[in-house]
Amino acid sequence: MNLTHTSAALLLCTVLQCGCIKQEPLNAECDILSANLSDDLLNRAPDIRNDKVIFVIRPGVDVTKLAPTFVLTPGATIEPPSGTERDFSTPQTYVVTSENGEWHKTYTVEVDDNANLTLNYNFDKANLVNGYYQFYETDAEGNVTLTWASANPAFVLTGQGKTPEDFPTYMADNGQGSHCVALTTRSTGAFGAMFKKPIAAGNIFIGRFDTGIATTKPLEGTQFGGKPFYDIPLYLQGRYRYTPGEVYQELNDKGKLEDVPGMVDECNLYSVLYEVTPEMEWLDGTNVLSEDNPNIVAVAQFTPEMRQATDGWTDFKISYKYRKELDPQKLLEGKYSITIVASSSVNGDYFAGAIGSTMEVDLLQMLCLSDYVK
Amino acid sequence: MKTQLFITAALCALAVHAQSEAPVGKFQYEINAGLNIGGASPLPLPAQIRKIESFNPDLNLSLGVKASRYFDEHWGLGVALRFENKGMATGAKVKDYGMEIIQDDSRVSGRWTGQVHTEYHSRQLSIPVTAVYRFNKRWQIDFGPYIAIAMKNEFQGYVHNGYLREGDPTGEKAVFEGDARAPYDFSDELRTVQWGLQLGARWMAMNHLSVNANLTWGLNDIFKSSFKTITFDMYPIYLNLGFGYVF
Repeated sequence: MNLTHTSAALLLCTVLQCGCIKQEPLNAECDILSANLSDDLLNRAPDIRNDKVIFVIRPGVDVTKLAPTFVLTPGATIEPPSGTERDFSTPQTYVVTSENGEWHKTYTVEVDDNANLTLNYNFDKANLVNGYYQFYETDAEGNVTLTWASANPAFVLTGQGKTPEDFPTYMADNGQGSHCVALTTRSTGAFGAMFKKPIAAGNIFIGRFDTGIATTKPLEGTQFGGKPFYDIPLYLQGRYRYTPGEVYQELNDKGKLEDVPGMVDECNLYSVLYEVTPEMEWLDGTNVLSEDNPNIVAVAQFTPEMRQATDGWTDFKISYKYRKELDPQKLLEGKYSITIVASSSVNGDYFAGAIGSTMEVDLLQMLCLSDYVK
Repeated sequence: MKTQLFITAALCALAVHAQSEAPVGKFQYEINAGLNIGGASPLPLPAQIRKIESFNPDLNLSLGVKASRYFDEHWGLGVALRFENKGMATGAKVKDYGMEIIQDDSRVSGRWTGQVHTEYHSRQLSIPVTAVYRFNKRWQIDFGPYIAIAMKNEFQGYVHNGYLREGDPTGEKAVFEGDARAPYDFSDELRTVQWGLQLGARWMAMNHLSVNANLTWGLNDIFKSSFKTITFDMYPIYLNLGFGYVF
């Protein structure tokens, strides 16, 4: 009889049906993969993020008639089309639609010559983005001149941020009726532990944070600088308050946190002026403080004493130590960039520190040569 | 315990006793053992699955007892109780695949493009109620519905070599490369009660020794209907091959 054959045939049908791979679905993603303006207009490579593109242009370029071009996820379309001439006196929006037509993403494209970078930072303005604070600064007219970066976008992935104040970087009361930025070293929970990155120091910096590589190469995920700087910084001053967490921990060989008896956590704050070259448009966690980084021009940094616990709010003033001379021509052309970085755990990059260490920073001010020669 | 039963069944089967014609109006009892080969699969495969890179059906044992009652020379009714394992392990390459990584109270959901490793294991008590048709002394078939109650359910695995778009395809991109893996576990989302249809055939190799084949075809999604992360339904389809001792 054929009954076993029938059963076998039925199973075979099933297997065949399962084995049939359907035609590949159309792409659902709608990313700007690369963006361009004519090369001679740009001062830096374009900065492309998940929903934003920043063109940093040379001083004096007419921003009212620019026609950026974009390369998108295969099959995706952009409106207005790539190459359309638009007035970039204010940021312009573009909508990218995925190949399958189901998804749309709105990009803000801004053109920035960064001629008037704010030098006073009072951390009074922040937007709530994906559940966390994102600090920004404005000029006298209320235009956004700087958006501070932090590792908050990666902390979203840990699921530990139930309220904005649970994140490593958040807004707090400065005790004088306005706000400051607070940085707290956090546990990243089970998700972070899985990637052997069990803590996240609170940090804030001028630059950008690349979540794409943060899980695998965290040091390269924090990218510092990015905007041209046209002045000669001499001092960085401000107020801060620091309370180290109770138990200092570091990663052991197995990627687990281990208590280090006797160690007390330290904070850090520094600023680096560097020359932008095609090989190094941004600094990152691997090279921002390297003694032998040839691009670094000047560094201002907290002394070891300043990194300890403070008795309440404390004023500080640190000076930029120049490693080499500035080239006035390059300064004029916007070939230098600056970053300021603050962190609640000095070794947070290497996942060492004390959970709960909290640094608050307020009223940062960069004093430049132009302030003294006016 | 399982192996012992297996051996006992085999030994019993060797003891050849004369067996009468159809025991019309009486109960006939049978014990049997077998192996389940198959998997839990969407039908047909959704387009998000780009390539099945590995499939391991596992060694899934089953042990059962069956009682049949014949009303006449041909027709009867059978009720069985079967303890069985259903399982599989697969590796697949997917594109834009609904995924939620859960770890303690941390969860990240989104669309995954890359590699997915899945392991499915279910230990069940199945109760088929089937109409039996007997052709002759050696051959009979049966067909009917079954329900299966899971005593242990596992559906878990990990994703690697790809990226997660957080939330939806427009979300932030988190890349997992090299050794980076993100586990997931949907075990709690599996149904406890499944049902489906069973088609079986029995051949009497000797007076008491039977050879059996049963195809069980699940008709409800292995996941609870409230579970939306995996966007398509999956059905358990298994062929059970084994032998039994008919008293």
